[in-house]
Amino acid sequence: MPPAAPAPTNVKLLLIGNSSVGKSSLLLRFSDETWLPEDEASATIGVDFRVHRMTVNGKPVKLSIWDTAGQERFRTITASYYRGAQGVILVYDVANRESFEALPRWWSELETYVGGKDSGGDKVIKIVVGNKVDKEFSREVSAEEGKAFADRVGSLFVEASAKTAIGVKDIFEELVQKIIDTSALWDTPDRRTGAVRTDHGRGGVPGGVQVIGGEDHSASGCAC
Amino acid sequence: MTTDLPYAADAEVSLSFDELEVLRIQYAKEVESGHVTVQTKFNYSWGLVKSPVREHQVEGVKLLQDLYRAEPSRRRECLYYLALGHYKMGNFDEARKFNGLLLEKEPANMQAQSLSTLIDRGVTREGYIGMALVGGVAAISTLLVAGLVRRAARK
Repeated sequence: MPPAAPAPTNVKLLLIGNSSVGKSSLLLRFSDETWLPEDEASATIGVDFRVHRMTVNGKPVKLSIWDTAGQERFRTITASYYRGAQGVILVYDVANRESFEALPRWWSELETYVGGKDSGGDKVIKIVVGNKVDKEFSREVSAEEGKAFADRVGSLFVEASAKTAIGVKDIFEELVQKIIDTSALWDTPDRRTGAVRTDHGRGGVPGGVQVIGGEDHSASGCAC
Repeated sequence: MTTDLPYAADAEVSLSFDELEVLRIQYAKEVESGHVTVQTKFNYSWGLVKSPVREHQVEGVKLLQDLYRAEPSRRRECLYYLALGHYKMGNFDEARKFNGLLLEKEPANMQAQSLSTLIDRGVTREGYIGMALVGGVAAISTLLVAGLVRRAARK
């Protein structure tokens, strides 16, 4: 009998950020490798959802990507989609200062709904994304400022353009790689016995992590 | 790397009892005070439409219909959730009507496009069930008739 294909690890990702920063466009570029011009793109209603399969460290990963509406009118209702997310993509528009200045507000909302450091919310991996770098001529937020915010809150950072595709793959690949590396650490028996983990997955060498985690835990993904 | 078909998440995911309760209480409070805000009414009807309980879906669609008439600024959202509610209830003609109105205004709207795929699939599935039923009825009546004929022949 041929060996059964390994069950994919399920990973839930969430896209948040102000209206019109390009959350849906980033998703469309990543999943379909296309781009819709501004006049054809429509504001997301509530939430849109896509499934995307990829391979990380030679293992299949099934991404469920939840693309939320940025409009204020959906603010309360989209919060219900935060539950169970293992990764969050926080998007702003580099040519729109206001969308960057809204990041702390999105951040505190995130902490409220997925939990802060004390309630396990720090296990949710975050990446701050400065989108629309193709609009270099009208840039209002420098890469340094974006990076400084990401560093301050302890998140990954990438600048990208859904229009030209620059940096888009990196967003998803870096985020998912870190989620996989970190979740391999949580699933070790050490965690169940309450042993303290000190590196938070940051210094994890993927190969070494897998030896610790063992094969049995690889399919379970999130332990939450 | 592969991508599955787009998908209307709100068609499948419902709120927990507590989450829907928060929206209901907020709505009930405002009804009592005599002034219901558009946002509260919309939030509650959204929660109702997402529910797996049919009575909830019916109530949600009713509220959305009021909102659609009263609030031109909320029309696109109302159309989408009206289509979704009718789809969930199996009223595919109504679902297609509302989704069609949204697609007319926003032909590139991918959420409406994927809902449209779901509605078509629902219609097809219903067609198969209908055919199976008709087929089943035909088979049973054939047996009955055959039995009667046999019994008649025996006499």
